[in-house]
Amino acid sequence: MALQILLNFSLAFVWMFLNDDWSPTAMIIGFLLGLGMMYIFRRFFKGGFYFRKVIAVMKLLLIFMRELVLSTWSVIKVVLSPKMDLRPGIFALPTQLKSDVEITLLASLITLTPGTLTLKVSDDGQTLYIHAMDLSDRDEAIAQIQNTFEKAIMEVTR
Amino acid sequence: MKVNDVILQTYTKAVAFIILIFSLYLFLAGHNQPGGGFIGGLMTSAALVLLYIAFDMKTVDNMIPIDFRKMVALGLTIAVFTGFGSFIFQVPFLTHSFGYFRLPLLGETELATAVMFDLGVYLTVVGGTMTIMLAIAEDDD
Repeated sequence: MALQILLNFSLAFVWMFLNDDWSPTAMIIGFLLGLGMMYIFRRFFKGGFYFRKVIAVMKLLLIFMRELVLSTWSVIKVVLSPKMDLRPGIFALPTQLKSDVEITLLASLITLTPGTLTLKVSDDGQTLYIHAMDLSDRDEAIAQIQNTFEKAIMEVTR
Repeated sequence: MKVNDVILQTYTKAVAFIILIFSLYLFLAGHNQPGGGFIGGLMTSAALVLLYIAFDMKTVDNMIPIDFRKMVALGLTIAVFTGFGSFIFQVPFLTHSFGYFRLPLLGETELATAVMFDLGVYLTVVGGTMTIMLAIAEDDD
């Protein structure tokens, strides 16, 4: 992936040399032209077209922001409501993520969204222990995390 | 005999893109400087031929699933339709015009309809050259 980015920038510089134009505009155009060519020839690269990952990172960011807004709203509702019919609890989340970066990212995202908090990653790295503020349905909470964060992280790292 | 041409293949992966961007430059420079659809198209097919030399035909065919015969047809269609386009404005066949436009990234730019015709030439040249090359190369079985 790093080599592909390097190639893309080299192509932008070749474009600037050819046009004898050293403005940022020429660089952006050269970069976009190189990106288009690399998209057409994407099957030549091991690991696929790198810009796919850039899009995946953007998607992860958007999912995080959406979850942040939604769960902040639910926490606000709980805090402001007069009666507290909550069932706090700790549940185990089985995860398919392997590398340290992936697991750290998932744990941080869970912690940063209000309402849930990562307590511990199990020694074999297969399970995350999470404290939830309102745990009325355990399976639903697990499924929700798996469908949003875990899927998006896997798209970025694999 | 199977030779290990890893050096050729590795260089090709980078050099083919440099040739391609040079061909795009030639294609777009054609209006005011040496260049144009023909030389740009030949240069693009040179890059493709380099890929075919470095890798075997099956690999490249899988990686670039483009039917070059259809590319010729597409290029000719584009060229003819730029000619027909002049009928909409009540002027003779293949009359071209140009104008200055303010584009988001490029600023003040001169856009000419002749570039569309050139694009047709470009696609036809790439498609024609590659069809000839591949038709000769496919002869072995």
